[in-house]
Amino acid sequence: MVKTALQIGSLSLKNPVLAASGTFGFGREMARFQDLSRLGGICSKGLTLHPRAGNPPPRVAETSCGMLNSVGLQNPGLDAFLRDELPFMRQLGCAVIVNVAGHSTDEYCEMCRRLDQTAIDAIELNLSCPNVREGCMLIGSEARQIESLIRQVKLETKKPVWAKLTPNVTSIADMALAAQRGGADAIVLINTLLGMAIDHRTRRPVLGNNTGGLSGPAIKPVALRMVAEVSRLVDLPLIGVGGIMNGQDALEFLVAGASAVEVGTASLIRPAACQDILAEMQALARVDGVDDLAEYRGTLQLWGG
Amino acid sequence: MLPEDPIEHAVTIRSVRRLNSLTAVLVLDAPLIAAAATPGQFVNVTCDQFLRRPIGIMAVQRREGLIELGIRAVGAGTRNLLQKKPGDPLSVLGPLGHGFQLDGLRRVITVGGGSGVFPLFFVQQVCRERGIDALAVCGYRSKNESILRDEYAGLGCQTLFAADAGDLDVAGQAADALAQLLRQLPPVPGTAILTCGPRPMMQAVAELARRNQLPCQVSLEERMACGIGVCLVCACQVKADGKTGYQRCCVDGPVFDAEVVAW
Repeated sequence: MVKTALQIGSLSLKNPVLAASGTFGFGREMARFQDLSRLGGICSKGLTLHPRAGNPPPRVAETSCGMLNSVGLQNPGLDAFLRDELPFMRQLGCAVIVNVAGHSTDEYCEMCRRLDQTAIDAIELNLSCPNVREGCMLIGSEARQIESLIRQVKLETKKPVWAKLTPNVTSIADMALAAQRGGADAIVLINTLLGMAIDHRTRRPVLGNNTGGLSGPAIKPVALRMVAEVSRLVDLPLIGVGGIMNGQDALEFLVAGASAVEVGTASLIRPAACQDILAEMQALARVDGVDDLAEYRGTLQLWGG
Repeated sequence: MLPEDPIEHAVTIRSVRRLNSLTAVLVLDAPLIAAAATPGQFVNVTCDQFLRRPIGIMAVQRREGLIELGIRAVGAGTRNLLQKKPGDPLSVLGPLGHGFQLDGLRRVITVGGGSGVFPLFFVQQVCRERGIDALAVCGYRSKNESILRDEYAGLGCQTLFAADAGDLDVAGQAADALAQLLRQLPPVPGTAILTCGPRPMMQAVAELARRNQLPCQVSLEERMACGIGVCLVCACQVKADGKTGYQRCCVDGPVFDAEVVAW
């Protein structure tokens, strides 16, 4: 048996495969495809304080090796989540990570204050959704705002706070260092890349929101580079996400420096992707003669230095 | 907690029936889907593109464990599906979605436009099995582009074919043919209109149904990704509790009561 258990700070996970926010709902629809108790954890759909309708359709455009989405954080709001979804998630037997998206610092703080009283395992601060006008990526592209937001949120909760960063910045290193200074417990790299699809006949963007977030294998090299870069600069656990479609992809993120991974777009094509990827990681480890997945972590040796 | 109801199936293609240069019927060996599917539901199938493609179920042969999918080439993915050969493997998720409601109905009029006639054929098949009186209106651009005319005629129900080009029973659109049919038809309690096709056509059909005080169910289409309700990209505007909001076409639909659709 290949050992899979790990720690993200104070949080113990039974394995490093988590379902990424926005690709797994609250787990309900996915229970018919796999034994969810065997996942490392589930990151909830991004939540806002109040319900959000989301952006006008079309909200999806297929691309070479990926897709653009412009959902825009459609969600039932924190109250409905706590009432209708959290009890279900709680009994699944895997870690429950709540993705929190605010319009403002006050909203992030209020949500974290209220989540502090609940039985969730960690808060994933969404500093990176590219499909909304306020908060999220706007905060996440300014190092000073990242630092200040995390510092304030940490005063409201004792739950582990993970900062999910956007790749749409000039320096991911600056953003990660800001998250560390603010007191984040872990850093999640990366959210989607801002993109656009155009119909040359109508001369219109395909997406109703004009732009959307690019995900899938197309962004894996960007995500790997960012994990590798950040892992050399910060001392926090990293969670890698971006285009992971199979076990080999996931191991590459561990080598780059991630402690765990999130699987997103793959679940939209293969609903049992998380479970399959974990099994593939273990099978590959056996071939490599590795008996603990943690042995891969941060073992990347760069050329020339 | 183990998954008790797997719906991801590795299936093979039994046969491919070309209808014209742009359309074909794929017959798949998929006994579990054949056993469970109801009219208006769809499957999400792999192709050579990144995402799956949602395809309405056109018919099932329950005893043989087969499902039939009517496919029209609209882009690279559906073009690839049309090139499939017998024996080719396909990953199929399904049956998916909330289909047409036939319970309590005594007479059903299906109104299809273009490739919308595919999923409505399944409605006709089940109406026959369940002894529900059924009539059909099928609208096309022209006789040349018409599909499934022999299959609909073979059902033995009253069928009206319309073509914009004027070379079939009724010159005009499916809604024009429906209007003509409704003028001749003696009213029967428990009649409903079930429609699938281009959105303007369905809106015209829904309006006609409303004027004739007949309930109407419409099968909406949106670009989808997962097809199982987690990604929220297939949002369609629906009225609920006096407010308009987005629902998921894949699991809350694709069939909705015409009265709740925000046209």
